[in-house]
Amino acid sequence: MPRVKCEDLCPEWPCEQPEEFKNVWVYGEIEPGRGIREPSLQMLTPARKIAEKLEGKVVGLLIGHQVTAYADDFIKYGADEVLVVDDERLKEYYPDVYGHVIVQLSLKYKPEVILLAATMRGRELGPYVANTLRAGITADCTDFDVDEKTRDVLLIRPPFAAIMLAYIRTPFRRPQIGTARPNVFPLPPRDESRRGEVILEKVDIPKPRTRLLKRIRIEKREVPIEKAEVIVSGGKGLGSPEGFKLLQRLADMLGGVIAGSRKAVDAGWIPPERQVGQTGRSVKPILYIAVGISGAAQHMIGVREAGRIVAINTDPDAPIVRQADYSIIGDYREIVPAIIEELEELKRKGPKAIEELLK
Amino acid sequence: MAGYRVVVGIKWVPNTQAVRFDPKTGTLIRQGVPAIINPQDLHAIEMALRLRDAYGGEVIVITMAPPPAVQGLEHAIGMGADRAILVTDRSFAGADTLATSYVLARAINKVEREIGRVDLAVFGQETIDSSTAHIGAQVASWLGWPYIYYVKQASLSNGSLRVVRQLEDVIEEYEAKLPAVISVLAKALRPRHVSLLNKLRARTERPIITWTNKDLGLDTRCVGLKGSPTIVAKVTYLPEVPRLKKVHKAENPREAARWLLKNLLSDEKTRDLIARALWGEGSA
Ligand SMILES: Cc1cc2nc3c(=O)[nH]c(=O)nc-3n(C[C@H](O)[C@H](O)[C@H](O)COP(=O)(O)OP(=O)(O)OC[C@H]3O[C@@H](n4cnc5c(N)ncnc54)[C@H](O)[C@@H]3O)c2cc1C
Ligand SMILES: Cc1cc2nc3c(=O)[nH]c(=O)nc-3n(C[C@H](O)[C@H](O)[C@H](O)COP(=O)(O)OP(=O)(O)OC[C@H]3O[C@@H](n4cnc5c(N)ncnc54)[C@H](O)[C@@H]3O)c2cc1C
Repeated sequence: MPRVKCEDLCPEWPCEQPEEFKNVWVYGEIEPGRGIREPSLQMLTPARKIAEKLEGKVVGLLIGHQVTAYADDFIKYGADEVLVVDDERLKEYYPDVYGHVIVQLSLKYKPEVILLAATMRGRELGPYVANTLRAGITADCTDFDVDEKTRDVLLIRPPFAAIMLAYIRTPFRRPQIGTARPNVFPLPPRDESRRGEVILEKVDIPKPRTRLLKRIRIEKREVPIEKAEVIVSGGKGLGSPEGFKLLQRLADMLGGVIAGSRKAVDAGWIPPERQVGQTGRSVKPILYIAVGISGAAQHMIGVREAGRIVAINTDPDAPIVRQADYSIIGDYREIVPAIIEELEELKRKGPKAIEELLK
Repeated sequence: MAGYRVVVGIKWVPNTQAVRFDPKTGTLIRQGVPAIINPQDLHAIEMALRLRDAYGGEVIVITMAPPPAVQGLEHAIGMGADRAILVTDRSFAGADTLATSYVLARAINKVEREIGRVDLAVFGQETIDSSTAHIGAQVASWLGWPYIYYVKQASLSNGSLRVVRQLEDVIEEYEAKLPAVISVLAKALRPRHVSLLNKLRARTERPIITWTNKDLGLDTRCVGLKGSPTIVAKVTYLPEVPRLKKVHKAENPREAARWLLKNLLSDEKTRDLIARALWGEGSA
């Protein structure tokens, strides 16, 4: 018996059976003149996991002008095949134009899964593609799994209040579409020996109804906090923007960067791209030092993968104290300068100072 | 009507910081949870009002939600929106973003049939509760309109729209044919406050109308839970991350600092990192 009963479906949806679909696609967002953006390549990591369970192929998707050359990168990072639409009319990215290209490819090849990086462009493009296909889309997944019996992908995303996970599936519609934020998944290792097929496709390209008039590059910001090994993070407890100057000195000593809680961002003490947490970034430093941060669930979800967490807080009952590896109960205005001084002394004395300290 | 008709989509969301869970059933306790207008939607309303104030026309605010969301519409009227539509029906419950956008798009079609041409639909960047940022693009897909996300400035002339938008790495300027859909960049503007006069208008003129599925006449297989391709299969608590939980009460700052460094330097996870930072590569 067919799994999907056509008479139960919204008549605006096409009636298709899940078995008609195969393979896992990854959309490759292009940085013009440079190549595939790293967040898209990172999506090859969950794509491989899903493809193995579904016994399908991982297929990279490249759309644009003069992008065929990048197919090789897709393969070296783990795609089995690359589907390319290379056309002068695709020189500029317009989400509805690119969206229609992906929709046509999807109607022809019937992928079982499509993954996109949840960059700002990916968050704009994904829902348009999904909706035009009348398919479901799950945003900002933190993990994926497969129910091998039904071949349903479980798209796992953190929902309310950052303490519960929702497992979402789309049993009656294919493709199953999901996005994940940059740096949630690691970049797969590049393998120079990998080979794969590159398929050049031609599709109808609709005329854009929007026109790019001007583009200004914004200065690339320094070390994105997602890649830092040490993060010194400040919260409302700093009491003023000056507090961050002190944290910057500590971060400099440790070769790290500064970040903050949402309250610190809302107060304007630190820019939004340095916010850690549910509505900010997820970070995985080896060492996370939280200064004047209470440890709200929405903040802590962003540091789940930190190696060690240090808390500096005046309140022994602050929730962070129960969620840190090392907590110092005290005023950061005294504690942080003391740590800096101790570090300076260690630095002066050289590596042998460790033994002395550990005595 | 001279000028432009702008529709703004808003959502009445639980103030999630206050959400509690029923540990037995693992479900949300929504009862008694205070709700607010999704904060970023205030920026969408503000942008629509500025366009109306500059070029004439009207702003219609719309939400698909259970009846209490009328408070959100009243707030929007209080800010200066001309009218508002509550789209509500039992059969709309449990909608995912596709089913939500379907109802919103069909309601916009109804505005066009019964009130007049719609030039622009404006949304906030995303909500604070489920934060998908899907709705704008999906409404554009249903309506077949062009769309531009992350807009921080907009102007209108001769039936076309000009916007400035900002992404991670670029600021771009676009021109689009109307009708079109835009979403407004988070925190792009300074939303105006509710004025008493406008609020009074909400009481006396009753500019808020309600449409149910009797008015929209949508196939019940296309709305609510049935019209949603995504299904929440289960919900679980995040497992707790094991941590060492060592606590030092600082009597003396230097001593506290030494306690910390001692620990970090005898801890396998952090020892090499600190040594490298202090004395360079190879010192560990
Ligand atoms: C924990 C959880 C996770 C979810 N995850 C997903 C998912 O991954 N995929 C999915 O399809 N659905 C998901 N949903 C369902 C989704 O929350 C609803 O469909 C919701 O109505 C719209 O999504 P949003 O809040 O993310 O809006 P967004 O797309 O983030 O909102 C963008 C703009 O659209 C406006 N808007 C949103 N809803 C309405 C409305 N009802 N009326 C008028 N304007 C509106 C907003 O105010 C905002 O201005 C999830 C629900 C929960 C509770
Ligand atoms: C939907 C939603 C999403 C959210 N997303 C995020 C997010 O992404 N990131 C995020 O961080 N938050 C987020 N929040 C907010 C979150 O709930 C908390 O409100 C926020 O994290 C608290 O910030 P804080 O710890 O800096 O401030 P507070 O909670 O006010 O804590 C300040 C701390 O500083 C301590 N302190 C005070 N003085 C000193 C001193 N002299 N020395 C040392 N310690 C001192 C206090 O004891 C206290 O523990 C979100 C909330 C919601 C509802």
